[in-house]
Amino acid sequence: MIVKRSTVLWSVISLAVAAAILLWKPTVLIYGVQRAGLYAAVAIPMALVLGIVHIVNLSHGELMMVAAYLAYFCATLLGLDPYVALVPVAVVMGLLGFLIYKLTIKHTLHAPELNQLIMTFGIGIALSQGVNLAFTSQTHKLPLSYVSASASIGEVSFGIYDFVFVAAALIIGSSLQLFLTRTRLGKAALAVGQNPRGAAIVGIDVDRTYGIIFAIAVALIGAVGSIFLTKQAIFPDVGGPYTMKSFCLVAMAGVGNITGILYSSLILGLAEAVINGIRGYASWSDIVFFAIIIITILVRSHRERKL
Amino acid sequence: MRKFLAVSTFLALFAWAGFAQGVIKLGATWTLADITGDQGSKAAQLAVDEINKAGGVLGKQLQLVVVDDEGKADKGVAAIEKLVTVDKVDVLLGGMSSAVALGQVPTMKKYGMVVVSTGAASYKVEDALGADATWYFHLHPWDYLQGQSYVDGWAAIQKKYANVKIKKIFLAYEEGAFGKASYDASKALFSGQYQFDGASFKSAALGGGDYTAVLQAAKDYKPDLFIWAGYDADALPLLEQSKAMKFSPPIYVGAPPGWPKDFGSSALANNVMLYGMWSKAINDVSPVSKKFYDGFVSTYKVEPATYFAPLSYSAVYIIADAIKRAGTTEKAALIKALEATKYASPLGETITFGPSKVIAHQGIRGQKILQWRNGRQEVVWPFEVQSAPINYPLPAWK
Repeated sequence: MIVKRSTVLWSVISLAVAAAILLWKPTVLIYGVQRAGLYAAVAIPMALVLGIVHIVNLSHGELMMVAAYLAYFCATLLGLDPYVALVPVAVVMGLLGFLIYKLTIKHTLHAPELNQLIMTFGIGIALSQGVNLAFTSQTHKLPLSYVSASASIGEVSFGIYDFVFVAAALIIGSSLQLFLTRTRLGKAALAVGQNPRGAAIVGIDVDRTYGIIFAIAVALIGAVGSIFLTKQAIFPDVGGPYTMKSFCLVAMAGVGNITGILYSSLILGLAEAVINGIRGYASWSDIVFFAIIIITILVRSHRERKL
Repeated sequence: MRKFLAVSTFLALFAWAGFAQGVIKLGATWTLADITGDQGSKAAQLAVDEINKAGGVLGKQLQLVVVDDEGKADKGVAAIEKLVTVDKVDVLLGGMSSAVALGQVPTMKKYGMVVVSTGAASYKVEDALGADATWYFHLHPWDYLQGQSYVDGWAAIQKKYANVKIKKIFLAYEEGAFGKASYDASKALFSGQYQFDGASFKSAALGGGDYTAVLQAAKDYKPDLFIWAGYDADALPLLEQSKAMKFSPPIYVGAPPGWPKDFGSSALANNVMLYGMWSKAINDVSPVSKKFYDGFVSTYKVEPATYFAPLSYSAVYIIADAIKRAGTTEKAALIKALEATKYASPLGETITFGPSKVIAHQGIRGQKILQWRNGRQEVVWPFEVQSAPINYPLPAWK
């Protein structure tokens, strides 16, 4: 087996950084990984839509918010734990996603990208304002005892619940990878993503594939929304920042690169945790987040130009 | 002569009928998409309905005209312009956001109409108004008055309860303007008497929600009193992460503008302290509060969730009472009547107006210290409206 020199180099650097953080503040490493899990779980469905349907869905975070509200009402009205509510919420969101595709996305596939952006942005605004009108801006949070689960290393106690987002990201990422490479529909979706005209020539129903992929992505963000509800308070504007972060992660990882999103999330999650760990510099975390993204995109563009 | 008398009588009757049938218009601005504005406007309408049902003011019915400021300064300015020039209201009231109020001040100055403000805590608004804004009646305490009331409250609590000892205070504040202003004000107020430290965090309301770093800093500091100044979205996640990190300071205070729905139903909320102006517990000691609460709940089928509801309700009663005493809505007479206000409010205190640092007419001068107990906010201080003694210290997390 031949391992690339650059891979070895990056692995050594990654391990050295992880070891340094571990020696400095072990909790920073833990919280960084947890944060990376949340970012990746939210961003992967967006990458799927961008990679196959070639649409930047700027209503991504708002769809997660709607799912979180659905899960909240399943919990408060039907007594379902958000992890149980996850299944019906994902199904409902999948159907909503298919509807959104049929009613809106489908009609802008051949329109200029700016039109697509404005349309999905508009959908996001309609969703958040709709929820605001229906339920006001007051925040909702489920009191769940298991989210305070903790562990201790010596004197240091830390929360361990957020590893659920790491698990969610890995499950969603690997399931999608398997779906895209091992199933007939997944392979068709990959083909459509790479060359829609060619896929149509060989008999793949491009429109149906787009619709299903968009529905799957919305169903996945619906499932993530249910898990998100366990940890965070929800309100109509809660999804907006996650649209932006997901978009940045997708841009950093490269279009449709699901594995890349896991790595990008890890880098950004750790960077944010390190900045937060330095007393008095917490407000720098957004600057560092975007600085890393800008540098990565610039480096990648430079490399592609050289090739 | 007989003809002249008949015409005069007819004209007098006609004029009286017109006066009696007229309305007194109250023009208000709130951010209606926000729970504070939504409930504030509803509470004001409740007060208007109650007053009208009781015969109105000077034989006229009150009419509340509300314009949504959308939480934006430019919309707030446009709202004032519309209320004054199109709706031709007699008095202005309402408000919540300091930023919106700052934008509105020049327009208010231009018209010089009587304003009874329910919002705007920032001292910058007071500075912008200036000492000659005698038409401005500010109900909500300014930020420095709020801060001073906390200092006074904690001193009084320590004096009354010998077991409560505060030496070190830590403030976790959201990194935006609201949190930074809270930090600066608290540092200035508390530093003289207490050891004081603080650190910022990114609020969940602004895309954050990870409090581990700030909680670790607080835990290392070992404060006797831990305060967080953020938004309602931070309330429960902060407690959950505090529990996960086994951080349980003797006094845990939350200072958000509002609390999330059903916050009190969480077991973690028990014994958390908070600052506020009103709670349902005041119903036990104030019949006015009970009347307001019962009216609000029976009309809107929902409980008042923020103190902006009783505050806005109070604003309408204060205006109505002043118009009644003045016998007119004419500016000079109305200002004089408002200056003589003594209104036993649902907030558990009698509101009067007196000077603050800059303006001449400041109403409420501080907030109350409350404690979540079995889902209810109990008033701990001021002792005159206390509904329960402080439960101290916060028990270790189970």
